Amino acid sequence: MGAKQENGDPEDILPPLEQELSHELDMKVKKYLRGEGADLEVLKDKKLKGQLYTRENLYGTSAKTAAKTEKWLLPSAGGYLEAEGIEKTWRIKQDTIGREVDISSAKNQYDIVLPDFGPYTLDFTSSGRYMAAAGRKGHLAVVDMKNMSLIKEIQVRETVRDVVFLHNEMFFAAAQKKYPYIYNRDGVELHCLKEHGAVTRLQFLKNHFLLASINKYGQLRYQDVTMGEMIGNFRTGLGRTDVMQANPFNGVVALGHSGGTVSMWKPTSAVPLVKMLCHPGPITAMAFHPDGHLMATSGKERKIKIWDVRKFEVLQTIRGHAKTLDFSQKGLLAAGTGSFVQIFGDFSGSRNYSRYMGHSIVKGYQIRKVAFRPYEDVLGIGHSMGWSSILIPGSGEPNFDTWLANPFETTKQRREKEIHSLLDKLPPETIMLDPSKIGTVKSAKKKEKPTKKEMEADLETAVEAAKGTAMKKKTKGRNKPSKIAVKKKEIVERAKKPFLDQQMAEEEKVAKKKRKIGEEIALPTALQRFARKKATA
Amino acid sequence: MIEKKRKSRDGKKHDRPQKFTRKSKFSKKRGKIEDDKRRTGPRLPQSLRIELDRINPNDQSGSEEDEEGINDDVYEYEEGVPEEESKKNRRFDSVENYEYELPKDFKDENVDSDDDDDFDGGENKIAHHKGKKGDLDQLDDDVEDEDDERHLRMLQGITGMPSQAFQDRKKTKVVSEGYPESEYNPTRDVLDGDGHIAIEDLLESIQGKPGYRELRKITRQVEKKGKVLQAPLPKEDRDRLERSAAYEQSKKDITRWEPLVKRNREAPTIMFDKDTDSGFSTIGAIASEFEPRTEFEKKMSSLVNDDNVMAAHKEDGSRLLELNKISLEDYISSRNHIAKMRSLLFRHEVKMKRVKKIKSKTYHRLLKKDRLKGSVGIPMDAEEAKELAMKQEFKRAEERMTLRHKNQSKWAQRIVKRGIDTQDEGTRAAMAEQLHQHALLTRKMNSMKDSSSSDDSSDEEDSENSDGSDEDKAPKLLAKAREKTRRVLEEDDGVPDSGVLSLPFMKRALKKRKEAADEEGRLAIQEFESSLKELEDTDEAKITKTGTVSGRRVFGASKTQVIEPKNKIRSSSYSSDSEAELEAQEDIDIGLGRTDDMQNNINVNSVSLYVDADIPQDSVLKNSELVKDLGPKMTYEVSILQSNTWKKMSSNRNEVDTNGKRSQKVVEPATHNQDIEFEGVGEDSDADSEGQMLDGILSSEHKSSYKLPSQAELIREAFAGDDVQEEFNKDKEEIMNLENPEPEKPAQLPGWGQWTRVQKKKGLPSWVLEEHENAKRKREEALRKRKDAHLKHVIISEKLDKKAEKLLTGTLPYPFTSKEVFEQSIRMPIGPEFNPATAVRALNRPEVVKKQGLIIKPIRYEDSKGSGGKVMTAFSAAMRASFYQNSTHFQISSHCSNAGKPRNLNVK
Repeated sequence: MGAKQENGDPEDILPPLEQELSHELDMKVKKYLRGEGADLEVLKDKKLKGQLYTRENLYGTSAKTAAKTEKWLLPSAGGYLEAEGIEKTWRIKQDTIGREVDISSAKNQYDIVLPDFGPYTLDFTSSGRYMAAAGRKGHLAVVDMKNMSLIKEIQVRETVRDVVFLHNEMFFAAAQKKYPYIYNRDGVELHCLKEHGAVTRLQFLKNHFLLASINKYGQLRYQDVTMGEMIGNFRTGLGRTDVMQANPFNGVVALGHSGGTVSMWKPTSAVPLVKMLCHPGPITAMAFHPDGHLMATSGKERKIKIWDVRKFEVLQTIRGHAKTLDFSQKGLLAAGTGSFVQIFGDFSGSRNYSRYMGHSIVKGYQIRKVAFRPYEDVLGIGHSMGWSSILIPGSGEPNFDTWLANPFETTKQRREKEIHSLLDKLPPETIMLDPSKIGTVKSAKKKEKPTKKEMEADLETAVEAAKGTAMKKKTKGRNKPSKIAVKKKEIVERAKKPFLDQQMAEEEKVAKKKRKIGEEIALPTALQRFARKKATA
Repeated sequence: MIEKKRKSRDGKKHDRPQKFTRKSKFSKKRGKIEDDKRRTGPRLPQSLRIELDRINPNDQSGSEEDEEGINDDVYEYEEGVPEEESKKNRRFDSVENYEYELPKDFKDENVDSDDDDDFDGGENKIAHHKGKKGDLDQLDDDVEDEDDERHLRMLQGITGMPSQAFQDRKKTKVVSEGYPESEYNPTRDVLDGDGHIAIEDLLESIQGKPGYRELRKITRQVEKKGKVLQAPLPKEDRDRLERSAAYEQSKKDITRWEPLVKRNREAPTIMFDKDTDSGFSTIGAIASEFEPRTEFEKKMSSLVNDDNVMAAHKEDGSRLLELNKISLEDYISSRNHIAKMRSLLFRHEVKMKRVKKIKSKTYHRLLKKDRLKGSVGIPMDAEEAKELAMKQEFKRAEERMTLRHKNQSKWAQRIVKRGIDTQDEGTRAAMAEQLHQHALLTRKMNSMKDSSSSDDSSDEEDSENSDGSDEDKAPKLLAKAREKTRRVLEEDDGVPDSGVLSLPFMKRALKKRKEAADEEGRLAIQEFESSLKELEDTDEAKITKTGTVSGRRVFGASKTQVIEPKNKIRSSSYSSDSEAELEAQEDIDIGLGRTDDMQNNINVNSVSLYVDADIPQDSVLKNSELVKDLGPKMTYEVSILQSNTWKKMSSNRNEVDTNGKRSQKVVEPATHNQDIEFEGVGEDSDADSEGQMLDGILSSEHKSSYKLPSQAELIREAFAGDDVQEEFNKDKEEIMNLENPEPEKPAQLPGWGQWTRVQKKKGLPSWVLEEHENAKRKREEALRKRKDAHLKHVIISEKLDKKAEKLLTGTLPYPFTSKEVFEQSIRMPIGPEFNPATAVRALNRPEVVKKQGLIIKPIRYEDSKGSGGKVMTAFSAAMRASFYQNSTHFQISSHCSNAGKPRNLNVK
């Protein structure tokens, strides 16, 4: 340990522990620098160079501080299951885990049995504090998960297909038999969104305050929940679906269709941004990694595929079926089918998912929805007989940023946050595949030269405009019709002139080129008769 | 030469004062000679003058100059009269001219010489340069003059003509030198420039006086070294030189500032936060600085700051002042009161104005009547009395309802809570007043009862109610309601035999309605009874009490009685459920064989309602047990329409069977499943899913239920997949064509170019083909450039989003010249959400930071080294300040994140 390496760099004379620490810090700094700075040496403008130099320095200090803050103030590391010897992590059962963990964690293992109102779907608030549960047969409930108290439950007495929280726990939207409704946490119906129709799935885009819905007829709608404005209404034309998921990174909404395609939409475009053929059979479930780079889809052909959304390539294909999929904050993938939940994990960091855990609920229960609880190592499972909660070590983010999502939020903080988030609301057009492109330079226009037809049209419009100009009424004698006619003619000529000039210039250019080419390939006159004629069609 | 000249001049000048003195003696007699004024004034008669000349002829002899002067005199004397006569204008002009200028000019030699230029500039110059020669010339001139005069006289004598005729030649000279030398009339050589006054001349006068020698020495030295002064340069050159010199100077000045300015320019932020103190800002601050200066002030301050006074003030004065203090609430209340009164007054005023404006006489009459009535107070006739009674009744009812005056208000309650005895007299009086009011209101009612003719029962009830406690009311009310409903039910309302209602369908409708109402009434009765029963059960002690009060009949309501409203809900919920069920079926039909819905259907059939009667809040938690303890007390199994359910179920079964094949087509054979990582659960086959739910991976015997799909199904599935692929490809092609349209095929317009065989043979013109080729190539290029060109299974829309376009910049922002540099410079977010609080300020600091109220003074020169540090120190100080002020917000989150997470579990 004490022996120094001889061939090491002279500056690497720090003790190994500190070296490691500094290396760790460097990694973090790199993360916070968000890419390399520009090469300032190529710049000729000294002033700009100086400015950018100071800027980069500031960025550097900022990244360094952030890295240090992360290191010292966010010390909690996520846990995980570690197998010893021949044992496998997926053979470890929930009761084994429950025996090992502390009381407060063991509290999170439970089953709520509500046999009457059919399969339940769940949704968590971004802080993981509250959960909305919706039974298919009309049971809506909001539960405080911290102290396990029911905040409100209502019976709407009709089919409920989906439930989703809006920006905080105060409001939630439920897709009911005919229309989606918005309720507040006291169960008071605030809005009936009739325009959406019979919605099958709902998604809420938190940063944009948009409620996205897909209805029975395959119509995708975006509604701004702040002003109530309908932002987009698109006919997907790909049939009915109830597979819809928003990419948390960029707000793009993806739909899974029966033809095995996944289409990605944004509220300002009537055609899908991307349409990709993911499975040969219908798509049953879909989920996005929180960093927005991974997408998991499952098809009827019993395959789960993990995609790189940036490159639209398959990274991995896992055999198996999933009726519902969900990624955790730390990137674990839960797949639920029948009465069995399978968790895949990627602990090597190489985007290679392998079996991590499994859990089977009581026979006969049909899982409808799996949802990881944010900031907790908990997986919520909504099934036909209520809902269950199991522990999945290493699924939740251990450190929460109170500015982002605070499970211990007070009323005042919630209000303040609401205002802040409203002020920071992003306009719908910021939803795009790569939002980091915002603010950059527009790509050069495709066509730099107008076509002949367009030129002609322009000319015509210009001439029309010139003809339409009203003539001034002159004094007697100067107002002769002949003079006016001459004047008009003049105006028209003048309007035409730039176009004609342009045409002339172009023609000349072409002629010059031709001449040049002609000179180059000109055969001797005697041989010209043998020149190959252009092939005719 | 110069020396000589000077000497000669010296000589002359030496003489001059003598001459002056001499002349002054005769000044009275010889006014004309003395100066111009005299000349113009009254003159001596000529004869007298001649006499005088004869008397002193020796005056004219002496030095050269004297002679000259005499000559002049003589000339004047002789030629005086005719000259004046002949040259009147000239004389007046010139005389006036000399009169004013000469005495002035005399003092300054140079000016004199300038003046001379007018007369004979050229000569003057020559005199300047030639010095001595000029002198000689002058002498010659004098001699000539003399000769001329003689000659003139001779001519006069000969011709007998007046002298004027011969005088023309001399005129000019006469004017210029026509007066004797004096301090006012400098001699000619002086005027010519020969007679410059040098320093020596001046020195002579102080010869022998103290300091003279030194001065002389200095002057000599100056003379020795003295050089000839060069003629000045032309103005343009001079200016240019001046400018260049000035430029050099200013350059030097400005370069001093350069480092300072450069530093300011390069600084990311210029701070103006120093010297913000602009003196006192408040009166208090100024007053605190006050120091007594005058005696009076001192006296005052000694009195004011006297310890005794201070102590007294502290002890007593503050209390005195306290009395003056008005609490905020008092102030607000008084203000509100005033505002209210004002607004009331205003409204009243407005109303009166309006009323006053009304011209209707009837209205005013009625108004008057009303007013009179009001003033009378006690109503006279029975009608009015009744009205009043009604009013009172209403008031009473209101009072009873609100119990406004029975210590119900917040204020009263608070006072009661605090204890009435502790309150002051006013409050107690107010409370008493309130209670009195209440009593008054109720008592009045009693008195009015006699007069009002309401039915007995209600009176009875009223009295009862007033006596009885609140708990007694509820059962009584219920009993009453029940009684009433019963009465209504028993009542046989006669159906009219005639009219619309007698029509058969109306009758039927009425009957139906009646039946419905009856049913409802019956139910209501039941409900009343059940609730009565409940009440009785809960407080038996009370029942005995109330039983004595009212002989109420108690109906034997059973505990198993079903609550009526729930019933309704149940039925409606059932209907809605059946709807749901139907929809679920529909789901299956449309939803491509979703298997999960099957189970739903079956669940739907066993309709049960979950009623949370008592504790709706905790029901979920209550139910948080395993399935085994299912069947909590609050759950009611409803088995209405049991048979129907079965029917439905069976029909569903049928549907399942029909759908079974379709849904099974996606099932893969078991052989494929052998090596998969995730072994799916047996939900695949819908038909057997109800009975045998499989236990996931851990159950080993689940394969027994698995059935191998048939070959046909497998084939169908394979084809289905192919179809999808093809469809997608077609779709992609379509979109590609839409976004990059294929160029039109080259074709000739019919009739064009086809009228001869030759052209037909030639085919299409080459340019058309070329164009087509170009377009094709372009399209291919565009297609190749598409992002999804190499991704077979992906279509990426290339459509331009116009709304999103505004989020991009059209051109590179000014100082940037390369796109990459710009884009990399904006890669870091600078907001507070993305940066630690310590860095946010620095990242977002504006170019100029200025404190409010600060006067930006012009830049002051500082030594470059010293001040360079200064700006930076200010900057870093600000940085430091911001660091200490803001702790990072990460801190907040750290303290409670540890709870509730299993970490690094090591399960053995």
